[in-house]
Amino acid sequence: MSELTPRKDLLDIESLEREEIEYVLENAAPFKQLFQRSVKKVPTLRGKTVLNLFYEPSTRTSSSFEVAANRMSADVTNFTVSSSSVVKGESLLDTIETLQAMRSDYIVIRHQAAGVPGIVAKHTGASVINAGDGYHAHPTQALLDAMTIREVYPEYPGRRVVIVGDILHSRVARSTSTLLNKLGIEVAVLGPGSLVPAGRHDFMTRLRSWDEVFDWKPDAVYLLRVQMERQEGQFFPSIAEYHKMYGMNSQRLVGMRKLGAYLMHPGPVNRGVEITDEAMRYERSLISTQVENGIAVRMAVLHWLKPETDKD
Amino acid sequence: MGGQSRLFKNGRIASADSPDLREADVLVDADGIITAIGPALTASEGSEVIDCAGCLLVPGMFDVHVHAREPGFEHKETLATCAAAALHGGVTGLVLMPDTSPPVDSGNLVKSAMDLVSEVSAIPMYQSGCLTKGREGKELAGFSGMAARGVPMLTDADRTVPCPDVMRRCMEYACDFDLLVTSHADTPALSKAGAINEGSVSYRFGLPGIPAISQEIAIDRDIHVARHTRARLHLQQLSTACGLASVRRAKESGVPVTCEVSPQHLVLCEDDIQDYNTHFKFNPPLRSAGDVEALAAGLIDGSIDVIASDHAPHTEFEKSSDFGSAPFGASGLETSVLVLYDRFIHGGMFGWDLLIQRYSVAPRQLIGLEPVGIAEGAAAEFFVFDPAATTKITRDSLRTKSPVSPFFGESLRGAIRGTTVRGEWFP
Repeated sequence: MSELTPRKDLLDIESLEREEIEYVLENAAPFKQLFQRSVKKVPTLRGKTVLNLFYEPSTRTSSSFEVAANRMSADVTNFTVSSSSVVKGESLLDTIETLQAMRSDYIVIRHQAAGVPGIVAKHTGASVINAGDGYHAHPTQALLDAMTIREVYPEYPGRRVVIVGDILHSRVARSTSTLLNKLGIEVAVLGPGSLVPAGRHDFMTRLRSWDEVFDWKPDAVYLLRVQMERQEGQFFPSIAEYHKMYGMNSQRLVGMRKLGAYLMHPGPVNRGVEITDEAMRYERSLISTQVENGIAVRMAVLHWLKPETDKD
Repeated sequence: MGGQSRLFKNGRIASADSPDLREADVLVDADGIITAIGPALTASEGSEVIDCAGCLLVPGMFDVHVHAREPGFEHKETLATCAAAALHGGVTGLVLMPDTSPPVDSGNLVKSAMDLVSEVSAIPMYQSGCLTKGREGKELAGFSGMAARGVPMLTDADRTVPCPDVMRRCMEYACDFDLLVTSHADTPALSKAGAINEGSVSYRFGLPGIPAISQEIAIDRDIHVARHTRARLHLQQLSTACGLASVRRAKESGVPVTCEVSPQHLVLCEDDIQDYNTHFKFNPPLRSAGDVEALAAGLIDGSIDVIASDHAPHTEFEKSSDFGSAPFGASGLETSVLVLYDRFIHGGMFGWDLLIQRYSVAPRQLIGLEPVGIAEGAAAEFFVFDPAATTKITRDSLRTKSPVSPFFGESLRGAIRGTTVRGEWFP
């Protein structure tokens, strides 16, 4: 593979070149093969340090990064900041100073405020990986989603993915849809009008019902988690009504099977809300593949980024 | 008084009446009164001669929307630094917003603010008062005491009065004192924790949006209350085409309403916000390109009466947090004239007469002051503007305490060489 311009940080999907995306996805595959072996480690990042800095509770993403870093032989420090101990925004520069002193090579950061990883990246030589900032971006989620789709559809351009749920408050919807669009995959959205903003990406076709979804013939249906904790104000009448209107249930599984469509979800799922128990057992569910690919993609990202830690 | 007479030599005089410039020398006596205007004037012994060749003499601007932060937030700005910034920007008078700490909501507080102004400010500053006690939107502030101290307007400054009933009582009661009610039109239930115009840009940034309707609904509400009460209403910081259309309709139907727009809302839109730059975070937010175009048209056709900077100083540290948490506002006093010259006058979109009308004459008239002009017998209150020079806006080029501006890095056409007011010359 030809050499790419070195990149220090992974902050969003928008700024990525197609070649960079392909590069990461290509590299993730051999990392994933490694998981079949008894020794799952490579020495690539021996002596390097990865700081997992989570301002928002997250077990899955944080663990996924930790496993990825461990398998690259890096030393990992987990640093979870409970939001109560953070003076909103104001202490950010002080935090960055503290981080500088830790001399990490990679900083994986999740923060409730959009744009914070970019601010950190500007002030540190470490490679900053955005693990989710507010509603803004979750680039490694997008990369693992793309990897998962590529595995089942090697000839992915022209394929169709419909994203179902809270488009307004979802960084996953933003990043994954942007990445799919860059790869030539068509994207549609389904969700309550109050959660499908008019300012969404132009390429997001709006579908208004499951009937329209099945008429559109998606190759994959991507359910979003209903973010009950992230909603300020009421956007739909009740969880029961959401489930009835937008949830994946046995009746909609019939439509899925007819199309042979795959089912995806970023996790963790709310059973009985966006998906029923039965639908969790759908034979074309890619949900656990997504988790596995998450580790491989994050290893590929750690491998790809070039910290400037000697600089400071 | 300064005690120094001055001759401004070889300049061209701008006025509100005509886009044409008049070539003449201007002689100002030691008391700051213009004693002669004409060709080839000679300076008396001991006067200072200021060479204005190639430059314009422009009547001093007047800004009806300034947050000077003193008392209470002196780390952001003080009356002295605010005055220095104003002079540096060609502004020779202004209205202070009452959102200090404590908020100016009584006659006594107006008096102490004005005492402080007379001690430390080189330019006239007029302290406005709150509509409601503590700017809390609940109880009426002490109107009569504030009126007795000569407040130019009442406003809860950057906060709307959320309850329409309270707003109605404010307007009804303000009529008794012929006080101007000034409203930062916004619907808090819609703007909520928003940080940026709601639309494709807020979506892309993943930031909570402030919808255009949050201002538009409030404008309509305030207009209806003004029509009902016959109170004089001034709307601050218009930001949308629809809101402007409402003001136009209200004026046509005889509602006593005026409105203002800021230079930033006239020249910047949401698409100019790059990389979460908090210097572009304003309240109301920068809107769409279409809104910007409509506002400029409204300024030119007179639907918008007044230009006002909404000079809102914050420290660099405060502005260095994430976009959602950073406070709204930036410094504006020093860049307003330069920005408007660079984007409008230079390209012939409008002349100096219109800028002087909207940023010097109308704002003074709004609060019952006589306009200042460059005429014999008048007090000298003008600035010297060099259209051939350029001004690079940087954190070190500003005299405000708050080096925060969306125009950093820009080289704006034109330069302000100095300002004279009250017999003093501030280069």
